[in-house]
Amino acid sequence: MALLSLTPFLSLAVFGLLATPAGFLRFRNSKLGLAPFVSILGLAVAMVSTVWLGFTSSSPVSFGGLQIDSFTLFFSGVLLIVAMFVAVASLQYMRDDPNKGPFFGLLLLSTLGMIVLAASMDLILLYVGWELMSIPTYALTAFRKNDPNSNEAAMKFFVLSALSSALIVYAISLVFGITGSTGLTAIASALSTAGPDVRPFGVLAIVLFIVGFGVKMAVVPFHMWIPDAFEGAPVTIGAFLAAGAKMAAFAAAFRVFIVGILPFNVDFYSTFAIVAVVTMTMGNVAALMQKSFTRLLAYSSIAQAGYVLMALATPFTTTNVPLGLAGGLFHVLNYAILKTAAFVAAAAIATKLSVRDLDSLNGLSRRMPQTSLSIAVIFLGLAGVPPLNGFFSKVMLFTGAIYSPYSWGGYLALAALINSGFSMSYYGWVIKRMYFDEPSDQSRIPEPRIYMAVLWAATILIFAIGLYPDPWIRLVLSAAAALH
Amino acid sequence: MIGLLSIAIFLPAVLAAPTYLLGRKNAKVAKILGLGTTAIVFVISIMILVVFQYGQAGFQLSESIPWAGSFGLNYKVGIDGISLPLLMIATFLSLLSAAGSWDQITFRHAEYYALFLIFETGIIGVFTSLNLILFYLFWEIVLIPMFFFIGIWGGPRRRYASLKFLIFTYSGSAVMLFGFLALYAWTGTSAYPGGPSFDYDVLAARIPNLALPLQLVVAITTFVGFAVKLPIFPLHTWLPDAHVEAPAPVSVLLAGLLLKMGGYGLIRYNLLLFPKAVNVLWPYFTTIGLITMIYGASVALVAKDIKRMIALTSVNHMGYVLLGAFTATVAGVSGAVFQMFSHGLAVGMLFLMSGYIHDHTGTRNIDELKGLRGKMPQTVTLLFLASMAAMAVPGFANFISEYLVIQGALSVSYLFAIAIVAPALTVGYFLWMLRRVAMTPGVGPKNELRLHSILILVAFLVPLLIFGVYPPPILGSVITPTVEKWIGTIVALGAR
Repeated sequence: MALLSLTPFLSLAVFGLLATPAGFLRFRNSKLGLAPFVSILGLAVAMVSTVWLGFTSSSPVSFGGLQIDSFTLFFSGVLLIVAMFVAVASLQYMRDDPNKGPFFGLLLLSTLGMIVLAASMDLILLYVGWELMSIPTYALTAFRKNDPNSNEAAMKFFVLSALSSALIVYAISLVFGITGSTGLTAIASALSTAGPDVRPFGVLAIVLFIVGFGVKMAVVPFHMWIPDAFEGAPVTIGAFLAAGAKMAAFAAAFRVFIVGILPFNVDFYSTFAIVAVVTMTMGNVAALMQKSFTRLLAYSSIAQAGYVLMALATPFTTTNVPLGLAGGLFHVLNYAILKTAAFVAAAAIATKLSVRDLDSLNGLSRRMPQTSLSIAVIFLGLAGVPPLNGFFSKVMLFTGAIYSPYSWGGYLALAALINSGFSMSYYGWVIKRMYFDEPSDQSRIPEPRIYMAVLWAATILIFAIGLYPDPWIRLVLSAAAALH
Repeated sequence: MIGLLSIAIFLPAVLAAPTYLLGRKNAKVAKILGLGTTAIVFVISIMILVVFQYGQAGFQLSESIPWAGSFGLNYKVGIDGISLPLLMIATFLSLLSAAGSWDQITFRHAEYYALFLIFETGIIGVFTSLNLILFYLFWEIVLIPMFFFIGIWGGPRRRYASLKFLIFTYSGSAVMLFGFLALYAWTGTSAYPGGPSFDYDVLAARIPNLALPLQLVVAITTFVGFAVKLPIFPLHTWLPDAHVEAPAPVSVLLAGLLLKMGGYGLIRYNLLLFPKAVNVLWPYFTTIGLITMIYGASVALVAKDIKRMIALTSVNHMGYVLLGAFTATVAGVSGAVFQMFSHGLAVGMLFLMSGYIHDHTGTRNIDELKGLRGKMPQTVTLLFLASMAAMAVPGFANFISEYLVIQGALSVSYLFAIAIVAPALTVGYFLWMLRRVAMTPGVGPKNELRLHSILILVAFLVPLLIFGVYPPPILGSVITPTVEKWIGTIVALGAR
């Protein structure tokens, strides 16, 4: 029966491998082919089994380094929502592309890598998951192979990402050298008794982990690739990178730092706090200066990563409740929904308007009312306006910071709140463009139904989580407790 | 169990959806649904008046429903003598503003009335919620419709004004939220049994044990949030832009209700929760109030646009609220609450009138309005009466509230005698405006307001005159008992 816990993984692997050959098959009159449906079926099976496991399994199940606990299931749920939204939106976005098979196959395999990353309790497995997640995304970013922007984006992304992988391998080897193990629980117990002679190596390993994960999490100063990659990649893949890959990197960081390195008694907290403040400030300030919608989304996603990073800076309260950690997980969920939806909205605009600069958004509410409304809701959610979902996760994160045992916790929260207030200037500015400015062209643009379905689903989720956050808060609290 | 308060809060938001969906095809439907809902909510607030226990001090009609208990959040609402007058002007001004919108809003009716109803939910929620996060939630719900009101239906500089309004007030609220979260964290340690909480009553019981530096941090950060909304002198610059650019019925909401959120927050959260901090901070806060009073009046003196002048009277008059509240005397705080009530009505009337005058004459420039008496004799009469209310002429409720504030201030320190400069300046700029607009010989063909518009304007005057002549029903039996109880508590805890 324990094998049933592997259903999400198996489903993604099997359907992911099936999707590529299925791309050769097609119904007689359908342009879409079989691959998208195979992959959406695979995602649905994985999603349903994750939810089912979440409700039924009480104790964690381990298969070697693979651990299925509520943290794993939480991240699987989040990442599968992202993959589902991306896959459905890609039905429209990739409609005219002949290579749907590989596209959807790679999407599923990358999702599998992300979930493995969230589930791994062993550093080797973690690295396998990391690469399984990364390699398909390089190909996906470069998917428009005749588009020089897409190629440039993929190249930048690949070089930096490969560097981060190398750093992580180096960090893993250092940790193995100190502790003699790659299992996170064994590492934790070995590090708790580590002598002063190995401390420098341990600190070096921590730095390498921070840099290695930091590139994928796109925290300042390792954020340079993000705006180019998001702009060059197919827009739905931008969503997948921004909400999926980034959050999976956070999952890995949570596993490694909270489970493995916490007992080492090294103050990595203040490092994360500084990086968090710099990241959110830099992201928000740079977002204000952008002229392209996707670049604005990229910088806003950098700022949001800064908020999530606060969870690593202040995971526990003075009473040892994982409030900050839970807030970070909650923000992962909310951010994933909001950012995926924002990119889907960008895809809807990009397929209908050839220009991507912000001027094309002027007066959009008259031309694409549904898209504009959902962008407005998403942006207010990202800014943290209640009763939308982004509000409660931010409240938990910021409270966690004030409530933490560190004297700088209050300053961290204040910096984050001022950032949050400041971020309204560009979110509000985009809303102003859509609703208050006059469009240069008054014509009504038809809004593709598939995108609208995704956007409405996301909007409903945004409101539902925001209006009744209790079950979600309990979910993230239990996921955070599973790490502790 | 859902009580009257919850119905009053959520009915508008629930009816916003049909208002939008049915009103999209037919503007009249949107108008009827919007105005009808505000009327129903006003009737509900009358029912609240009927069941309210007068002369009592505690929270009444309380409702508490678990909401996000895993995070110390519960949905808790209730009213006492401080919130009841504000709840009443919230429903009353919403009704009159919706009625005023009937003529003055000319396009996109469905969106307008749907947002209007969401605004009403927010504003009633602010005045009734007894949980800090719930309060913040309603506080922000008010913000978004207002942003759209100014941005879509506003005047020529609406884009600038709406964004400035949004950024100013949202940043202020972010700082205020810091205070709330800090309060939750600092009163959630093991020293306080029962776990962390956002509940107003729980916090009121815990805060006296909180160390003074922590109390000061929370009091100052929350003050910033409330002060931006009130507004106080250096943080007021969003106000003239927002009020001038907003359509007149929205200016009624802005000046009549949105500013009161700041005043209410200052009293409910700043003054009553942090007795020790108040003991340290009151000289600064009252001085800021004094400066705001005099500054607002001085700037209003030179305003050329009648709407800008009315907007700046709000700065002037909200200074009284700050001054009165932080005297921490029964007279001062009662005066501050009463001032919010009476100023909301007086300034609402003036704003709505400025909208009508602009619609009928095409200008709001005070100099160009010369000879208005010939065109709109009845309106000019009403303008006289509204100006008298705003000038705090005896017989209007404003006189009693301003008198109480200054009485409270003088009982604390004779230095506050300087406050008397503000009413003198107020009388100055109003009389000067009236001299230019109303006392000049009448010219032009008659272009009077229609009867229903006149009736809407008269409706503002009724409570102003009733409570100006005979204040006990609101002052003695509603505001003062609550204020007396609270002042007794906080003075015992060390507020002066």
